[in-house]
Amino acid sequence: MRDKSEMKRLRRDRLKVYMDILSIIRAESRREKMVLTHIQQKSNVPFDRLKTYISELLELGLIQDEALPKLTEKGLKYITEYEKVLDFMKLMGLTYR
Amino acid sequence: MDNLFFVLVEGVSAAIAFVLVWFMVKPYRMTGENRFLGLPIGFAFLGVSYICMGASLSLGESSLLDEMRWLQLFTGAYAFVFIAVTYHLSFETHERKARLLMQAFASLTVLVSIFLFIVVFLPPVLAFPSYKAADEYFKVFNMMLALYVTLQTLRSHALKPESKTILAPLGYALLAFSQYSFLIWSLDSSFSAFIGAHAIRIVGLLVFLFVSYEAIIARKNVAREGQV
Repeated sequence: MRDKSEMKRLRRDRLKVYMDILSIIRAESRREKMVLTHIQQKSNVPFDRLKTYISELLELGLIQDEALPKLTEKGLKYITEYEKVLDFMKLMGLTYR
Repeated sequence: MDNLFFVLVEGVSAAIAFVLVWFMVKPYRMTGENRFLGLPIGFAFLGVSYICMGASLSLGESSLLDEMRWLQLFTGAYAFVFIAVTYHLSFETHERKARLLMQAFASLTVLVSIFLFIVVFLPPVLAFPSYKAADEYFKVFNMMLALYVTLQTLRSHALKPESKTILAPLGYALLAFSQYSFLIWSLDSSFSAFIGAHAIRIVGLLVFLFVSYEAIIARKNVAREGQV
């Protein structure tokens, strides 16, 4: 059974992957048809794991449509906040990632 | 009241420091990494130290004056220690190691706090230097830590130079310089050094406020613009 700290670490790692996937979905949103393969190639995540992540993001309400994922309003807000904090950390001279 | 102006300045500094806490907690809340927790704690201690300084200026000859002055010294030093540890651990590439170091630091902080409480606030257990001497040592200590953070932020700036990334080292350099100016005031009672120290400190805090505002509030919704 995983202890609390390990779960916390996993959550953090997962957060980074989520943000990568959401960023790719946003960047790819100009394409008429965005398929999971594009996301998989850019995120460098194995396809089976990517499908799990996509399902989780769908459950969290951050994307819509599992087959042709698109950011929801909530997903867009989340990614914007995340980028603001990354920008703030950069300006404050803090290193992350 | 002669000190009213400086009490007000301390109040304004404390208010800015507490507003900064709201911004500084964001990296921790977003990443969940406890190594970033030192930043909001550090700025909160800075705010508390300014309040203690303001209180000691307004207390006059009250019996609480000594306690308030000592409290100001310790909270000020804690502030710089927390901020310096955050920047030190920020460069730690191993997340697990950084987490362990932060936990060790937190434990050490609790022990040091208990020790200081026993030494300073309870009836004399150990001989402690006079407030004036301690104040000078603390100012040097704070200045060294602020300079260390300045160098760390300059290092970050040198790695990825951008026009705005120079602002954080500038802010910390101003805080270091304000400690130096307070030290001069403590050594030769120079009134201009006292005024200068307050002015420099406010400018330093305003630099951080500007950086925070630019990154968190003024930054337009880039993601929204990127979305079709």
